[in-house]
Amino acid sequence: MDNHLREMITADCQEVVGPSPEALDKLRNRQVFVTGGTGFVGTWIAELVIFLNDHHNFGTSLILLARDIDAFRIKTPHLAERKEIRLLSSDVRNIIDLPADVNYIIHAAATPDNRQHMSTPLAVMETITRGTATLLDAAATLQSLSAILNISSGQIYGRQCCATPTITEDAVGSLPCNTITSVYPEAKRYAETLCSAYWSCCKLPIVTARPFAFIGPYQSLDKPWAINNFIRDALTDNDIRIISNGMPVRSYMYPSDMAYWLLRMLVDGASGQAYNLGSPYGITLRDVAEKVKAYANTTAEVVIKQMHPDNSVFVPDNGLVSSTLGLEIKVPIDETLKRSLRWFRGAFRR
Amino acid sequence: MKKVIISDATLRDGSHALFHKLTKEHIVAYALAADAAGIPIVEVGHGNGLGASSLQVGLSLLDDREMLETARKHLSRSRLGIHVIPGFATINNDLRFAFDYGVDVVRVASHCTEADITERHISYTREQGKEAYGVLMMSHMANKEVLLDEALKMQAYGAEAVIIMDSAGAYLPHDVQDRVGHLAANLKVPVGFHAHNNLGMGIANSVAAVEAGARIIDGASRGFGAGAGNAQLEVMVAVFARLGIETGIDLYRALDAADIVEREIMETTPYISSVSLVSGLSGVFSGFARHVNLAAKEYDVDARDIFFELGARKVVGGQEDKIVEVAMELQQKIKRG
Repeated sequence: MDNHLREMITADCQEVVGPSPEALDKLRNRQVFVTGGTGFVGTWIAELVIFLNDHHNFGTSLILLARDIDAFRIKTPHLAERKEIRLLSSDVRNIIDLPADVNYIIHAAATPDNRQHMSTPLAVMETITRGTATLLDAAATLQSLSAILNISSGQIYGRQCCATPTITEDAVGSLPCNTITSVYPEAKRYAETLCSAYWSCCKLPIVTARPFAFIGPYQSLDKPWAINNFIRDALTDNDIRIISNGMPVRSYMYPSDMAYWLLRMLVDGASGQAYNLGSPYGITLRDVAEKVKAYANTTAEVVIKQMHPDNSVFVPDNGLVSSTLGLEIKVPIDETLKRSLRWFRGAFRR
Repeated sequence: MKKVIISDATLRDGSHALFHKLTKEHIVAYALAADAAGIPIVEVGHGNGLGASSLQVGLSLLDDREMLETARKHLSRSRLGIHVIPGFATINNDLRFAFDYGVDVVRVASHCTEADITERHISYTREQGKEAYGVLMMSHMANKEVLLDEALKMQAYGAEAVIIMDSAGAYLPHDVQDRVGHLAANLKVPVGFHAHNNLGMGIANSVAAVEAGARIIDGASRGFGAGAGNAQLEVMVAVFARLGIETGIDLYRALDAADIVEREIMETTPYISSVSLVSGLSGVFSGFARHVNLAAKEYDVDARDIFFELGARKVVGGQEDKIVEVAMELQQKIKRG
């Protein structure tokens, strides 16, 4: 990775941690086990942990579990070669034991890529359901476990009964269970209920995070999500196409905010509680596209095709995380887009 | 006023009717005329799409590159489209170069129950910044629930529209309304419809599709397409205008383009032959008609019997080798009395 991109990540971590990292002190000299450890979430957790170690002497170690650790070694050798990071090659469904000295677990295995949900629905469901059960069975035997963070999905909120500007943690809507589009959110819902059952039966200290949308370094522009496509098209000078009326409202969180929030939820989240993870600041897709075009300085146009009306809103409410954990967004949307463009330009050059 | 996008299949579906012997002169003449008429999308290529030229489904006179290069040079307003069936077309050998030749719209097609195979081709097209449509062929072989399930996959892969094809010309208007209506109510991307005229329903079914919510309609000038042909494009433009549906196409110029097809390209004007009608009734791909007629002649059996037997076996496009197999079995049956 280019030095300037690494410096950018370090500055991002510095910004979210701030001058006093005491809020994360519980992680000092502790070991964190991360499933899905080489994906987008796992990579950012690793970046933030090595920042804490390098700049604040945290002495935190990481075990990253993933099916393809070789790809991680190639993509991020600066992380893979760190002595405090251990890579384990395995499928989460096949876990039997966890290292006895694990103190924290972040369960991030399962792709949010909806193309995979459609093409391999059985494998996706099994990874989420059996993978979660297998992990929790193994976690139940740990003597020094402090907390487990189960990463669920904002999609579990399903269809909301009435239009609201933001979705609170108790606003669980309906999911049609007889369609292929429910494979991922329904499995995630089941996994949350499974966590509640383990919390109840085994008194496992489990906290849940419900991620919404993110954009920034370590994401892939080939993902089938609107903002990723906007950036890719802008960087290749292709028109930015929006099929709808451009009015769907979404929000985007920068990944350094995401990683910091996740670690805070891990160490300070209330056991049994679910927290929204995302920016509470909604923006229409039309406005996102216009901002991307402006910041990318592209000759491409934003084309609103008006093929179907869509006024949907998918934005988390942050009242709970703000009032109980004191978490706020550090990177606003304009800065999120500028940094993302800077990162992806660098990635394109490579 | 309702608006629809007309996608012109003349230089692709019509290729079936010519045994894939489109010439450069054909492409130049028609592309210029279609462009002048303001037809939004002009598809070009082998009848079975990019990379399909083969002994099994028919060898093209021109290779894909020649066809695309020729068309591109003569289209300025119209966008250049291609039909792509994964398996025939590969990303590295076919799709990659198609973008080098200036293709704008890629219609990635699969049998109506096999949308899974379109993921990589749709994703690759989107990665190149081009428009990708998903196409479900032989859609009469699946009910509306199955079609929606497959269409949702294409939508998730990044398709910016999903088109259902009545490849066998088997639909009646209420079939179209049922399926298109269900898709339009449940997809976030526009729905399209591609008619064949085996039961004389090409235009009526296209109107039914628009009434049910379709926003993209395929047609071919003079109906120049496989079997009994497609919905006749210039007729569709006129009928839609009468119904207050905007196409943005100049009718006079569309009529001129159709005259060029009849005069300079087609060998015979498509009509509903007995065999085509049986193709529609039996639900067998219209493009099989010429292969079935040849096999019927060679093995001295009734082409209509071949069609009904193929229909009973649920044969789909790409299984042309089954035609001879069925013809031989029917011949044996006759011999045995």
